[in-house]
Amino acid sequence: MVATAATSAFIPVPSPSAPDPGFKPKKLANLGGMKSKLTSSGGLQVKANAQAPPKINGSSVSLTTPVETVKHEVEMSSSSSSSPPPRTFINTLPDWSMLLAAITTIFLAAEKQWMMLDWKPRRPDMDMLIDPFGLGRIVQDGFVFRQNFSIRSYEIGADRTASIETMMNHLQETALNHVKTAGLLGDGFGSTPEMCKKNLIWVVARMQVVVDRYPTWGDVVQVDTSVGPSGKNGMRRNWLVRDYKTGEILTRASSVWVMMNKKTRKLSKIPEEVRGEIEPYFLDSDPVVEEDSRKLQKLDDNTADYVRTGLAPRWSDLDVNQHVNNVKYIGWILESAPLKILESHELAAMTLEYRRECGRDSVLQSLTAVSSNGVGNLASLADIECQHLLRLEDGAEIVRGRTVWRPKYAENFGTFGQLPAESA
Amino acid sequence: MGRGPILTRGHRRNAVVLGSGSGSSYKGPIMAVVSDRVIGSGSGPGSGSVSGTLADRLRLGSLTEDGLSYKERFIVRCYEVGINKTATVETIANLLQEVGCNHAQSVGFSTDGFATTPTMRKLHLIWVTARMHIEIYKYPAWSDVIEIETWCQGEGRIGTRRDWILKDNATGQVIGRATSKWVMMNEDTRRLQKVSDDVRDEYLVYCPREPRLAIPEENSSSLRRIPKLEDPADHSKLGLVPRRADLDMNQHVNNVTYIGWVLESLPQEIIDSHELQTITLDYRRECQHDDIVDSLTSVEPVEDAEAVSKIQGTNGSIAATENNEDLRQFLHLLRVSGDGLEINRGRTEWRKKHAR
Repeated sequence: MVATAATSAFIPVPSPSAPDPGFKPKKLANLGGMKSKLTSSGGLQVKANAQAPPKINGSSVSLTTPVETVKHEVEMSSSSSSSPPPRTFINTLPDWSMLLAAITTIFLAAEKQWMMLDWKPRRPDMDMLIDPFGLGRIVQDGFVFRQNFSIRSYEIGADRTASIETMMNHLQETALNHVKTAGLLGDGFGSTPEMCKKNLIWVVARMQVVVDRYPTWGDVVQVDTSVGPSGKNGMRRNWLVRDYKTGEILTRASSVWVMMNKKTRKLSKIPEEVRGEIEPYFLDSDPVVEEDSRKLQKLDDNTADYVRTGLAPRWSDLDVNQHVNNVKYIGWILESAPLKILESHELAAMTLEYRRECGRDSVLQSLTAVSSNGVGNLASLADIECQHLLRLEDGAEIVRGRTVWRPKYAENFGTFGQLPAESA
Repeated sequence: MGRGPILTRGHRRNAVVLGSGSGSSYKGPIMAVVSDRVIGSGSGPGSGSVSGTLADRLRLGSLTEDGLSYKERFIVRCYEVGINKTATVETIANLLQEVGCNHAQSVGFSTDGFATTPTMRKLHLIWVTARMHIEIYKYPAWSDVIEIETWCQGEGRIGTRRDWILKDNATGQVIGRATSKWVMMNEDTRRLQKVSDDVRDEYLVYCPREPRLAIPEENSSSLRRIPKLEDPADHSKLGLVPRRADLDMNQHVNNVTYIGWVLESLPQEIIDSHELQTITLDYRRECQHDDIVDSLTSVEPVEDAEAVSKIQGTNGSIAATENNEDLRQFLHLLRVSGDGLEINRGRTEWRKKHAR
């Protein structure tokens, strides 16, 4: 069970001086007493050595060890006067290792000179010191949670870029860590303590993702997430994914959540006690993704162009309640997307409506209909739009979806405005 | 058969990180990085490009001081955690693969993503997995940080091996060990080939001089032969199909997917009551994207009663080991549906779960 981290466990980093094109608050949310708790240490400058210990490995281990280890590594690499690594082996290894060490030392000494001349407050190394393992932290006055991910080799797809599932996994991870860091994690699933008392859970109703560019192996992405209201009884969660190095926005996403009683499986209004817990964190910001409000049509055997049956959850698809993880649905939806589209195009935008959950014993079918720009001409250089349905064999709907695909390497063709209107 | 570490990063070798784009104020410092031409071909140092990407700098892994092994730290993410609230064995296998890739990349191999030496690339040779053996003593949970150390060394004339040790980063406790055996194959003819001396010399510089085994015990199950289970199997799951996400760039099924398939035919009560302690897989044949796979499982009696009693701390003989509640052992077979061609053989050992 994940421990509830105290909100003060993370020191908010002062926002960078450059204007941050992140979540623009329309108006500040109701500032309850919670907010002061978050920013009580707002004036604290982050020092290289001072790191509030996150709870690593489930308990408050005295974390001088990992911090010191990181510090030590950074010192090792940035100290110009460090001696070359001591020779610890006695064998016939040639001396190029010494030469290499000498080169490294020279370059690092030069680097130290440059850094001293041109030190800016926001250095990636600082982030590494604060957050060496990418646990994430609260920024922007407590309303935004930020976490970095380096793209691992097994997260990339056949075209050598991160798969859409990887991107969605990162979004899910930051959402959970946001709730955990804010001290609102009642049960490890995003239910707050009050919600747990009332047997309430969050259920995702709708999801929209727009990908401008996919990262590749070794890239580092920075994910910012925040929550806000959605109507009277829903919650909206927004994400912005940036290339950590360049600040370029890679992905924008927005999801709508509703509350459900986990025993009765009926939707519920947000009770006052829960409102009190979560509203202080609401950031009522401009939408990060233009709302795609077009109705998603329901496909059937006649209207679908492609059908893939016999999709069954594996053990690794299940969460602790043995329900299928939301992100897995996306993989299944794409199972029936025609290979020709996957080869020539990349997923630019996706809208999903979640209708029903499924478990270990479900067997699913994935239906796809190509609805524009591509009928009979899949190799065209235009954008393609598809409709999707994921359903059980008895016809019960799990997810409806719409995807938009743009030709791969679109940038190379020098065309502007490749993205369709709804993703602008 | 599985393949060597996947993925290409050819463009990264030449990436130069400097003032990146108009919005950023960070000037990436130049870091000396081993390039292909410095190591392995004997040309003078400094002749290659000396640049490192930001990810290299932020990477939580590096060669150890003697350069003969590689260590990296990983944090377990929420979507890598399974029904036990701990990392799944597939997550562990993915991380082993990741750190193996990063090791190869850090010593200058793998510009094409295959951890191949320059000579191998010239001759169109690639590494494929022959056997994979993973032991996990304590599964990490969400947000845990684990440190994995990996190294490789030759294995007789025909192959190479890669070993791993996994530790809990906070306590330093060893939470797992793994070893794998690789053989060389011509990627065009798909035939196995002996490791020639010039290839061996290319990678041996990075290997420990003395044999170093993650699992040195002589009676380790990592060395045991895996028999083919007999028909009919005790349990089965038929008609497994590769998903798009299971395929690598050549439309072959990823090594780690096989682990998931092996587990599919285990009965629910084992999954509910026990935890996977050890898995050994022999890779025999590659699986393509349009193959349909059957997964078969049979109970294997734990023959060595002494070993069992050692694990349990009990004395005396243990009869009817099949009914032993705490330690269960199974044989597995993955085969192509229809013609029955063998894809993998496996053995798993399971220990009873304890309340967390």
